[in-house]
Amino acid sequence: MITNFKNSSPYNEMSKKQDKFFCKNLKQLTKHHFTNSQEYKKFLIQNNYNLKNTNLEKFPFLPSNIFKEIDLKSIKKDKVFKIMTSSGTSGKNLSKIFLDRKNAQNQIIVLSKLIETILGEKRLPMLIIDQNPKSASNIFSARIAAINGFSIFGTDYTFILNSKGKVDHTKLKSFLKKYSGKPFFIFGFTSLVYRCFFELLKNDNYNLDGGVLLHGGGWKKLEKKKINNFKFKKLLIEKFNFKEIYNYYGMVEQTGSIFLECKYCFHFVTSSYSKVLIRDKNFNILKNGEKGLLQLFSLLPTSYPGHNILTEDIGEIPKFNNCVCSKKGTRFKVYGRAVKSELKGCSDTI
Amino acid sequence: MKNFMNVEILVGDKKIHSITNQPYNKNILNFLDDLSKNLMKLKEIENYPDISAVAFFCRKANLMNQKKIFFKNKEFRIGLGLIFHIAPSNVPVNFLYSLVFGLITGNSNIVKVPSFKFAQIEIICNIINKLLKKKHKNLKKFIKVLRYEKENINFTNFISSECDARLIWGGDKSINEIRKFSVKPRSIDLTFADRYSICIINAGKFLKLNHIKKITLLNQFYNDTFTLDQNACSSPHLILWMGNKVKKAKDVFWSHLAKISKKKYQFIESSVVEKYTQVCKRLMQNDNIKNYKFFDNTLSTLAVKKLNKDILSYRGRWGYFFEYDLKSLSDIKDISSKKIQTVTYYGINSQLIKNTILKLSLPGFDRIVPIGQALELDFIWDGYDINKTLTRIIDVK
Repeated sequence: MITNFKNSSPYNEMSKKQDKFFCKNLKQLTKHHFTNSQEYKKFLIQNNYNLKNTNLEKFPFLPSNIFKEIDLKSIKKDKVFKIMTSSGTSGKNLSKIFLDRKNAQNQIIVLSKLIETILGEKRLPMLIIDQNPKSASNIFSARIAAINGFSIFGTDYTFILNSKGKVDHTKLKSFLKKYSGKPFFIFGFTSLVYRCFFELLKNDNYNLDGGVLLHGGGWKKLEKKKINNFKFKKLLIEKFNFKEIYNYYGMVEQTGSIFLECKYCFHFVTSSYSKVLIRDKNFNILKNGEKGLLQLFSLLPTSYPGHNILTEDIGEIPKFNNCVCSKKGTRFKVYGRAVKSELKGCSDTI
Repeated sequence: MKNFMNVEILVGDKKIHSITNQPYNKNILNFLDDLSKNLMKLKEIENYPDISAVAFFCRKANLMNQKKIFFKNKEFRIGLGLIFHIAPSNVPVNFLYSLVFGLITGNSNIVKVPSFKFAQIEIICNIINKLLKKKHKNLKKFIKVLRYEKENINFTNFISSECDARLIWGGDKSINEIRKFSVKPRSIDLTFADRYSICIINAGKFLKLNHIKKITLLNQFYNDTFTLDQNACSSPHLILWMGNKVKKAKDVFWSHLAKISKKKYQFIESSVVEKYTQVCKRLMQNDNIKNYKFFDNTLSTLAVKKLNKDILSYRGRWGYFFEYDLKSLSDIKDISSKKIQTVTYYGINSQLIKNTILKLSLPGFDRIVPIGQALELDFIWDGYDINKTLTRIIDVK
């Protein structure tokens, strides 16, 4: 297993050697969880899984919702340092992710490595398009976790939404007075950035030149407004003069090894710490250019078996990769959550 | 009337009638037969196997059989009055079965359909309206179909206080909610609650079937289970094996079923992931699982180590079954509960199953039917005889 993420580089040239290295690590991680989690062990035994496997496609995956159903951890109780939860949109149950110190630390190291590629090594003044979690009780934990997670790349934090979810113009003006034209970092959830920032400031003139916007959280809420990634970028750059805008994709089960989009082709790209596969309804691997269920790998999870996860999201690896950039990871698109089935049966009235 | 606030009327008017009719009279039989014919004629029927099933149920030939049964007893029976039907939220055509029960027994009916606008409900109500407008005007007062939100408790309260019987379909929680609204002193409730169903197969007898007969039986099993994604109360979740060569029979049964389900079963990504989550959860959490077989994403089976009442909460969906090898039929005592509704069977004498239940005085077990008939809603359901329960006797001496 990788024990030292510090000396790794986030976007290695992909080569067969690199793939082999990844699978070797995955094999060790699988074994590690087999040895340390009773539940995971039962799962592998029932599946007649061969621990010697090194074929990426054959590693056993867990569905992301399993973390809502069972407490899964590969550490002793007293080693739990932090429990991360996420509400998700599908149900009342929370995903529970158990972290020990080492796993939490590795998440930060890897996230830093990735973010450095868009923000540079220095901490930047940070504008957060959200309410200050300290004063707002109504924002849910996944949002707070993300804000806290990304805040390690910033200084001079400015939360520009007030308790009513409106832009605090005084704060925004004073931030821009200090930093406009120089490099700074803006973070927010995609739908909030659009609705509470772009839409509410339609009649104001603010110049955010120098700002790099990082946003994530999905497009579901903007679908109705017919806003996609491309349109979002175009509208926001025209209006605010941002230097760059990056969408990211990630999930609480694999915090740290997030997927940043390529600034040229707008696809998400896997890093040295992650891989992606697309599967059909029968869990067969799909060809590039076909839409299916996203399966995500991460080398980070050691305190819980979240290294190989089948998500509920529909994605696609494009057929042709002709991006001009030098990142050699796998490129992919995400189309959002798979449509829920209509209930058939007689289990409930109304 | 202000009671009808926020109530959408699909069939009928705002007047509440409580009139009775002679059960199985010509008018009703002809109306239902016309309804059946009109439904069968629809172009869209191919897309709605559930509509064609209920249309089949409404045809005169079927109802004439019921009529014969009804009049076997010489006593004079008449409808109770007004029946309030609360249909389940997730079986679109169930409301029509319930309505037929009420109508044929000579009652006036108010049917609450699910708030979700199923296409099947619109289709059926359109035809009912067409028939009531012209040829079957005289039945207008007997049929009212309404849609309103669960939260509209005023209306549920109002009709509950007016009706002579309620037919409540749904989960235990929903039924208890409806039961909070009191009814008249002599009114009755028929509740069709959450149930659990099982299947018993004689392995040796199954293996002796020739190939075509095996496939026919498997298709019948498929219809019992996959048709409603295993959600129907009468679809078996637990398959119990007995007799000789159980291991071989299981291999043949499941591998052939997988071929059928792979070909026929329509399912979507989100169901696949949810099913996989449920299977993983059982494998990880449960110590009562002996082995797990994944045939294809349309079919997974989990063998349980021993029978116990916990199993009544093991529900598969989208092609996910539990199984167990019986040492003797009396082993079913270990899962017996009032929750058990249907036993489907193959290769076993149904009288033997009944006698075992009686001998051990087991609770539950309302239906013992051959494989293939699990979903056939009948006038005897959940232990009630609809013909008798929705009518009263006028005792003339």
